Amino acid sequence: MTDNGGQASGGDQPVTAPLLSIDGLRTMVSSRRESFDVVRGLSLDIYANEVLCLVGESGCGKSITALSIMRLLPTPPVRVREGTIRFRGEDLLSVSGKRMRSIRADAISMIFQDPLTSLDPVFTVGEVIVEVIRAHRDMNKEDARRLAGDALTKVGLPDPISQLDSYPHQLSGGMRQRVMIAMALVLDPDILIADEPTTALDVTVQAQILDQLVTEQRERNMAMLLITHDLAVVAAVADRVAVMYAGEIVEQAPVDELFEDPRHPYTQGLLRALPKVSTTRRRLDPIPGLVPSLQMMPPGCAFAPRCPHALDRCWTEQPELAADQDGRVFRCFNPQPFAG
Amino acid sequence: MKRVLARTIYMVIVLVLSSIAVFYAIRLSGGDAVAARVPASASAEEREAVREQLGLNDPFHEQYFDYMGRLFTGDLGNSLTNNADIGKLLTEHGRNSLILGVAAFVLVFGVGIPLGMLASLRRNSWWDGGIMTFSVAGMAVPNFWLALLAVWLFASVLGWLPSAGCCGPKQLVLPAVVLAMEGMALTVRMTRSAMLENLSQDFVRTLRSGGLSESKVIGRHVFRNALVPIVSLAGLRIGQIVGYALVVETIFGWPGLGQVLVNAVLRRDYPVAQFFSLVLITIVLLSNWLADVGYTVVNPRLRRS
Repeated sequence: MTDNGGQASGGDQPVTAPLLSIDGLRTMVSSRRESFDVVRGLSLDIYANEVLCLVGESGCGKSITALSIMRLLPTPPVRVREGTIRFRGEDLLSVSGKRMRSIRADAISMIFQDPLTSLDPVFTVGEVIVEVIRAHRDMNKEDARRLAGDALTKVGLPDPISQLDSYPHQLSGGMRQRVMIAMALVLDPDILIADEPTTALDVTVQAQILDQLVTEQRERNMAMLLITHDLAVVAAVADRVAVMYAGEIVEQAPVDELFEDPRHPYTQGLLRALPKVSTTRRRLDPIPGLVPSLQMMPPGCAFAPRCPHALDRCWTEQPELAADQDGRVFRCFNPQPFAG
Repeated sequence: MKRVLARTIYMVIVLVLSSIAVFYAIRLSGGDAVAARVPASASAEEREAVREQLGLNDPFHEQYFDYMGRLFTGDLGNSLTNNADIGKLLTEHGRNSLILGVAAFVLVFGVGIPLGMLASLRRNSWWDGGIMTFSVAGMAVPNFWLALLAVWLFASVLGWLPSAGCCGPKQLVLPAVVLAMEGMALTVRMTRSAMLENLSQDFVRTLRSGGLSESKVIGRHVFRNALVPIVSLAGLRIGQIVGYALVVETIFGWPGLGQVLVNAVLRRDYPVAQFFSLVLITIVLLSNWLADVGYTVVNPRLRRS
């Protein structure tokens, strides 16, 4: 595999070693009838203290990547076929189940999209947080409960101590997501993976939750992998951005560079598709065509069928994710300057 | 709380209505109650005198209020056929029925739930296939036929267990298993599907992401969620046990309430028949009420909202 370009240090990337390093990840769906890769050789590094946004449209493999890291894929039918995910020198894909359980929530935490279905309806939020604490720390119930109460207080839940005895259905969507955040952060993890954490919430609540996440990330010096399809969210919180298309990363850059000067035609298309507020009303500018079916990927560049600048070579050869002379990392044979 | 109160009121209403229905139905059933009381050679006048004495000539509503009034003062009356004290019949046979019923109940849930869990956790395995086949058979085979089959196999052919009698553990095995079979089969199915449904819920992933062990995630969380539909239908299972007890007790000669009731109806023994009908109705209603309350306990979404 030659996808190591993902680790190439572009621009002003930190020089320290990455906290989490994904290398050549291939995750596949297999049923009796067919099997195909949904993540196709993905490499990505996450550094301490940074907010890394993973963007891309639905079905491009963002969530599957996150679940691969946590080893929470719905197996069968989805499983990791190839690659390594190194965290502090350990390959998460080959550690024992017991070791992986001890890493979850304690070192790497995750929050999910829909906070209603993501919480157990027949247990109070306090009971579950206490259980998570006691799965990792040798602590009696009272102390764990106190810690859980602190965690709820910290995420800005109103009346946090009495909410310990609430059931999920008694809380609003925003409060539930705060509970999820409290549960994910109660053990002070090194990395928080947030998979579309605001998508299921009202717009006003989205901003609050996002704000809470960024505050927590800064205060705790924690790395955050934020998965989203919302470029406004990316612009607001990201340090670095990785753009995903059809199961692979097509471009990765510090947030300013990405928005000012996107190199990959897909990234350019995404930015062009953003509705703009302007005096002259104009039509939206979508990317033409459809994402190729993962069951039948074209032999060359996955974006070639939709690319306005595709060369003959693009249809037959896979470009690699690599840094160009400016230190910009993307996957394209024929990059064009961006004209917003 | 409001829900529990509402269910209680509902239960009382149903109890009153069904007591009227039972009272009326027994009087409609034909046959002559007096025949049980007087010798066959008795004259028409003698019969009429007994009829008058038993109050059978009074209007229906008078008989009803008369009877209910006596019931509330603790006067349960006597059997028409052998003058036995009904209170005594209740305690003696009630005890036997309770033994059989509890044994069946324990089998329904104590065997049904673990088998259902095993089937769900070993989904699509030989275990699953075997358990589900057993479950389908348990639902399909009528219990009177199963009873005869069991007697033939275990009593006649193998000679392991007695075919009838009371009331030791050996005599209990066959009637309890036959009585429990259908409920057990239904519980297995329901447990399996409820477990599978909850295993695929998002909250399971959240709990795993919290680093909880599989035994905690499945044994505590998924199971507690799966328990909601199982408990909500537990009342129906009890009702089923009570209803089937009539058949099973009669076939196995188990001297319980069901047997008393069946004999009383056959002999037009009004006081015994109506009293024991009421007892069985009360048990079924109480168990439904308990299931409702239990449902509220296992399902916090119903508690306060």
